[in-house]
Amino acid sequence: MHEVAIIGVGLHRFGRFGAKSAIEMGAEAVRAALADAGAEWKEVQFAFGGSFEVDNPDAVVNLLGRTGIPFMDVYNGCATAATAVELTADAIRMGKYDLGVAVGMDKHPTGAFTSDPVHYGAPAWYGQNGQFLTTKFFAMKINRYMHDHGISSRTLARVAAKNYRNGALNPYAFRRAAIAEDDILSSRMLNYPLTQYMFCSPDEGAAAAVLCRADIARRYTSAPIFLKATALRTRRYGAYEVHSSWAAVEEDAAPTVYASRAAYEAAGVAPKDVDVAQLQDTDAGAEVIHMAENGLCADGEQEKLVAEGATEIGGRLPINTDGGLIANGEPIGASGLRQIHELVRQLRGEAGDRQVPGKPRVGYAQLYGAPGTAGVSILTT
Amino acid sequence: MERHLLARRGRLVTWTTQGFLPKEPYAGGETAETFRPFGVGLVELGGEVRVEGRLTEADPAKLRFDGEVELVVVPFRTDGDTEVVTFAFKPV
Repeated sequence: MHEVAIIGVGLHRFGRFGAKSAIEMGAEAVRAALADAGAEWKEVQFAFGGSFEVDNPDAVVNLLGRTGIPFMDVYNGCATAATAVELTADAIRMGKYDLGVAVGMDKHPTGAFTSDPVHYGAPAWYGQNGQFLTTKFFAMKINRYMHDHGISSRTLARVAAKNYRNGALNPYAFRRAAIAEDDILSSRMLNYPLTQYMFCSPDEGAAAAVLCRADIARRYTSAPIFLKATALRTRRYGAYEVHSSWAAVEEDAAPTVYASRAAYEAAGVAPKDVDVAQLQDTDAGAEVIHMAENGLCADGEQEKLVAEGATEIGGRLPINTDGGLIANGEPIGASGLRQIHELVRQLRGEAGDRQVPGKPRVGYAQLYGAPGTAGVSILTT
Repeated sequence: MERHLLARRGRLVTWTTQGFLPKEPYAGGETAETFRPFGVGLVELGGEVRVEGRLTEADPAKLRFDGEVELVVVPFRTDGDTEVVTFAFKPV
């Protein structure tokens, strides 16, 4: 198998952009990634495009040039972008192509996500009865987790406040104003114990990466970043997951745990080697839980780590340095490629005001979402 | 497939409150003005399975982890003259 390098990343800012289409944003992200790589669209041999709202992300070729390349569209819940990255990497690993693009784009209506529960394998009554809500699931999960592992609401507020602060340093973020912990705690209770400012919101944006065989990466850049591992997993029988009307009595770990272990093993790195991490912070509680599910700390240790600032940009375990989903919002198809974009900037030392000090070498990205799917990517210099 | 009767009482594994009016396909019939938060819980029935359902209680101070709850039938909405009911769990 060939090793895979990331030679270019590009981002269309996340936020709200009026009549501008997701396809236009996607094309801009690809152009930015190509410019970053010093490559041209005509060199791109294939692409994977991810979106929730757009049926055919491959329509970006109308704006980039109709070169006739194979362009595959993917949707895999909140792990859509991790899936696009893994499939792009796999095609290069297997030697089918030398250079390709992974792109994600979305443009969501405002407010909590909704859909037909039947499409998620849940019964119709589940939606009619008011239970088909991702926010409710994340609240149920963190509420028990806090009870079992001694996590306080103050810790949730600290996590959200950190991500808003990081977003304020990020010119591409959706929310660029710091919010005080007390204001986060006293904002409207959406799903106990999670308040309005502890949640991310659906929004709009696009992100892209140019991947190639590692042995040709130096034609494009003197500082390639290596995509050491990608792993995707779905829920096991005993896992209590989003959009599920029931759960087994015997508990099993969440899909993130299995994706994480597989990725660490494939990359040949350990959790203690991670210098910077981007975790799925659908809400502040999800970031807390995901710290442990990704092996970055023990259950309950978050209370102390967050209080002492370990997860801040200057801390020993910086998490969501670009503001995460809380400050960037979640255009589902693009979210995981935003994480990759941020890790590449951090590992190259190009992250400006939000640069993690001390030359980070190992970057870690994790996605999790409906109906119980996780994706992990590990990058190194 | 065969029918299997589950216990009416169970243990409240975890819970939350639904603090905002859900979008469609929610069929509760309230408006943003008339909506009142409701509780939601995951209940383990007789050590056999965990099921999700509404709770009759939405005050976090009155909900207890691992507390006992019982299945009840509660009013859901009114369709003309017809009262539509749903199931919920009530702290015992």
